[in-house]
Amino acid sequence: MAPSKRALPSKEATLFRELLSLYETRQLKKGVKTADQILKKVPEHGETLCMKGLCLAQSGKREEGIELVKKGMRFDLTSHICWHVFGLIQKDEKNYEEALKSYTQALRFDKENINILRDSAQLQTQLRIYDGLVETRHTLLRLRPSLRQHWIALAVAHHLNGNLTSAKKVLEHYEYSLKNIPDYDVEHSETLLYHVRILEDLGEYAAGLSLLDVNSKSRAIVDRTAIMEFRARFLSKLRDADASNAWRALIDHNSDRYEYYRGYLATKDVDLDNLSNESRCQALAILQEFTSQLPKAVTPRRMALSFASDEQFSDLIQQYLRSGLTKGIPSLFADVKGLYTEPQKYKAIQAAAETILQENTPLEGQYSRGEPTTYLWTLCFLAQHYSYVPRAPPLQPFLSPDFERALALLSTAIAHTPTLPELYTLRARVLKRAGDLVGAASAMNEARLLDGQDRFLNTKCAKYHLRAGMVDEAIQFFGMFTKKDAANPGADLEEMQSTLYLIEAGDAEYRLGKLHLALKRYMAVDKVFHEMEDDQYDFHGYSLRKFNLNIYLNLLSWEDRLRSHPAYVTAALQASRIFVKVHDDPSLITAASSSVRLSDAEKKARKKAKKAASKAHDDKKPAAASAADDTVEATAGKDDDPDGVKLLGAADGLDRAAKLLQPLESLASDNIDAWLVIYDVAVRRKKYLQAIKALKHAKSLDGEHAELHTRLVDFKKRVSAFPQAPPPPIGPLVVASLSTLLPEEVSLETYNSLYLQRHSKCAAVVLAAARVSHSLGAPVDEVDATVFTTLADDAQLDILTASKILDLLKAVKSSRVEEYRLACLSHFPLSTVFMTQSEMSERQKQSHVEAEKLEVAP
Amino acid sequence: MTTPNAKARVSFASLTPNNLGTVRKLNSVLFPIKYSEKFYQDILLPEVEDFCKLVYYNDIPVGTVCCRLEIKEGRTSLYLMTMGILAPYRSKGLGSQSLELILKSAESHAKIDRVYLHVQVSNEGAKRFYEQHGFKLVGLHENYYKKIVPHDAWILEHVPHATGS
Repeated sequence: MAPSKRALPSKEATLFRELLSLYETRQLKKGVKTADQILKKVPEHGETLCMKGLCLAQSGKREEGIELVKKGMRFDLTSHICWHVFGLIQKDEKNYEEALKSYTQALRFDKENINILRDSAQLQTQLRIYDGLVETRHTLLRLRPSLRQHWIALAVAHHLNGNLTSAKKVLEHYEYSLKNIPDYDVEHSETLLYHVRILEDLGEYAAGLSLLDVNSKSRAIVDRTAIMEFRARFLSKLRDADASNAWRALIDHNSDRYEYYRGYLATKDVDLDNLSNESRCQALAILQEFTSQLPKAVTPRRMALSFASDEQFSDLIQQYLRSGLTKGIPSLFADVKGLYTEPQKYKAIQAAAETILQENTPLEGQYSRGEPTTYLWTLCFLAQHYSYVPRAPPLQPFLSPDFERALALLSTAIAHTPTLPELYTLRARVLKRAGDLVGAASAMNEARLLDGQDRFLNTKCAKYHLRAGMVDEAIQFFGMFTKKDAANPGADLEEMQSTLYLIEAGDAEYRLGKLHLALKRYMAVDKVFHEMEDDQYDFHGYSLRKFNLNIYLNLLSWEDRLRSHPAYVTAALQASRIFVKVHDDPSLITAASSSVRLSDAEKKARKKAKKAASKAHDDKKPAAASAADDTVEATAGKDDDPDGVKLLGAADGLDRAAKLLQPLESLASDNIDAWLVIYDVAVRRKKYLQAIKALKHAKSLDGEHAELHTRLVDFKKRVSAFPQAPPPPIGPLVVASLSTLLPEEVSLETYNSLYLQRHSKCAAVVLAAARVSHSLGAPVDEVDATVFTTLADDAQLDILTASKILDLLKAVKSSRVEEYRLACLSHFPLSTVFMTQSEMSERQKQSHVEAEKLEVAP
Repeated sequence: MTTPNAKARVSFASLTPNNLGTVRKLNSVLFPIKYSEKFYQDILLPEVEDFCKLVYYNDIPVGTVCCRLEIKEGRTSLYLMTMGILAPYRSKGLGSQSLELILKSAESHAKIDRVYLHVQVSNEGAKRFYEQHGFKLVGLHENYYKKIVPHDAWILEHVPHATGS
């Protein structure tokens, strides 16, 4: 396009300038009118069309606006304004890659446009294109060297690009050029601290210390805590004699911060990560000293517990528990259970708590002895102690949880003081661990009833109902705290980014077999994390403007690891498992859509009945009621797939799964479950190299993992079933890798039985081996015989594995399903997991009767 | 080791729809009577806020006291319906503190002419307790209790403004 076509007559040119400033001041409606005035005279003016489109798009008329922008672009492809507008539109749609491309185009036609350069820098940061960012920041600084912000921004860009030395040089230049900075200037203080931080990262401790000292004396750095912390770290690194004093000052400043004690001890040559007998004693002596000097500090007492042993530990833990139980600290058990990695400490804690219980137990009928609240909290503590489920080896074979004992302790406590919510939440937790999910949910509800304004209790209660499969009840509980004008409680919790709700609701639906709803919830978690990533965008500009540099850099590295969050990992794995399931068995999709149609019909019928009822009963406010109905439908209508059926049937399900899993390869690389699901998806997408990588990684984490065993066999079976080997280089590579993963010369049947022999007492292994032998065509009675060994007295069977075994028996149409179920019922007497519907409702009736009895008893 | 009671924290809280569950739980273990829904509605009325309380010991609710206002023939009485402390927390002065709190509120309430209550005739201890706090025996209500024996109840009365002068 020739520029001549772009030039406007003088009147219109003035109008166009007005249009730009109207947009800048967000007067979008006026902007549209002004644009129309120009277009009347010059209907094919590209820039005006684009600006009008932008105003429309940002005032709610997105579609129409975007159409106009595209039209405008066609008239004027060499205008920086058009490209800039296009970039803004793409940025609004979070399409950062494309937006950056448009900005780059715009810059081709106007190399020194400050606005476009600044926007590009923000996009480059968002996209982590740090070399490009350095260049952009450099250009900006060259164009406007008088702006302080531009100097800082360049330093940050160098820093992000990994070039600390250049960052340091920029800051030195900048500080040298500054004049007349007032005292106590926070922005300047932040910049200097940033400089100090860079020197620390560079290992230039002496320089860092002197910069810090000069500027804290001259009152240029105002953050006292930061000064003290930097000082202590620098002095330690320089092995300066003053270091221990610096840490000591910090401890006086805040005597419950672990790192300060760690720093102090390090100056005394006590390395907490690498203790010798001698330094252990020294550490204890120092911590004891702090304990007597700082009577209110908990940290030195708690730290000492980690390093003490034998009699000294018994003494210390006794004091520690006594103080906590007298004060009534509810989290005391959570605090000390970290010590349960050592059987000796486990025993000492039990002994100490039992002693305290003894001392405070009231004598028959008399309550004068001991402090009643101390007695109560000790019962609580011991209930948690006895129901503790050890997860790691040193304790695992050594003790098993005693749920009956824990429940008895809690019954005593409830009879003593029935108004403490913790007693019921603990009872709920013990019942949950013992497999009585229904009883757990109702215990949690008892806790909730004691304090209706406690959202923690409310959330727990709702969560436990989800665990027990009572989704509707759970939603009602959640609804007590969600916004009343939300379409439904779930929608509000999703809006509020409650991953707890989304994960638990997804899991509940998954267990109920409603894969579409489960998938919908899991994918909502992914959306939450997308939003969190998007949220950082504005900080790229804001933080630099406000000089919040240190916290901003922390934010960026936090964002880089965002998807290592357990909620994301769980959601990504579960969603991927569903995509894999549906890929293997597409009939699940039709099942889901017909179940939705059924429940829709039910809903309609219910609504009709409700409407009829309300008409009959309530003629006063029909208008208001129907209006409310409309709004609900309108908001629900926004989502064209509220039940997730379309999502479940998406043709690119596996690709979506791969996308979900991609961040986990680096962010959850020590999570074996992640690698197993990565394999499942990769092998179905015929990405064999990725599948091999996943198997290798999983094998390096735990070569004997039961789920890995099934995958290895699966992979070998798939490879041997290839109609023809994949072309080189992939084909030979697959074959070669396969031989490193499992032995070539042994048949899969033998391989499987050898694996089973190695861990015949582990239920998860037995299950895996049974699955494999079924997949290899073994007869059903052989599968039966294998899994029934998990019922032996010396086999380690847990509820989860047992219910998976039951599922397997059902899937292979075994004739012994009922036999196994009944065996599980007696194996886990408290559990409701293995009950039939009628057994369950019988149990519920019983517990109601019991509750009423309790109520009546004086 | 026992902590002296002096160190214990005692506090009171007004009743709200949210902590009513705690009141219900306490009543269910403290009294042999199941109270009606009307009882629970009335104790939330704003005019009795100063006379209906939960009693906390070391931040745990361990007792309640609930009253209602009665206006008869121009006289306003505060009737003490229930007062109870869980067994393990008795003999720690919680009952006295609660009663004093109520009496003090009644005193500052100009309209209240008297505070009164019923005590089962078998409950000498309770009678003595109230007498120590300035209540006087003013009558006997025969067959007051329908379902528990003995059926009769003493009526005890306290006149707040009289004690002061």
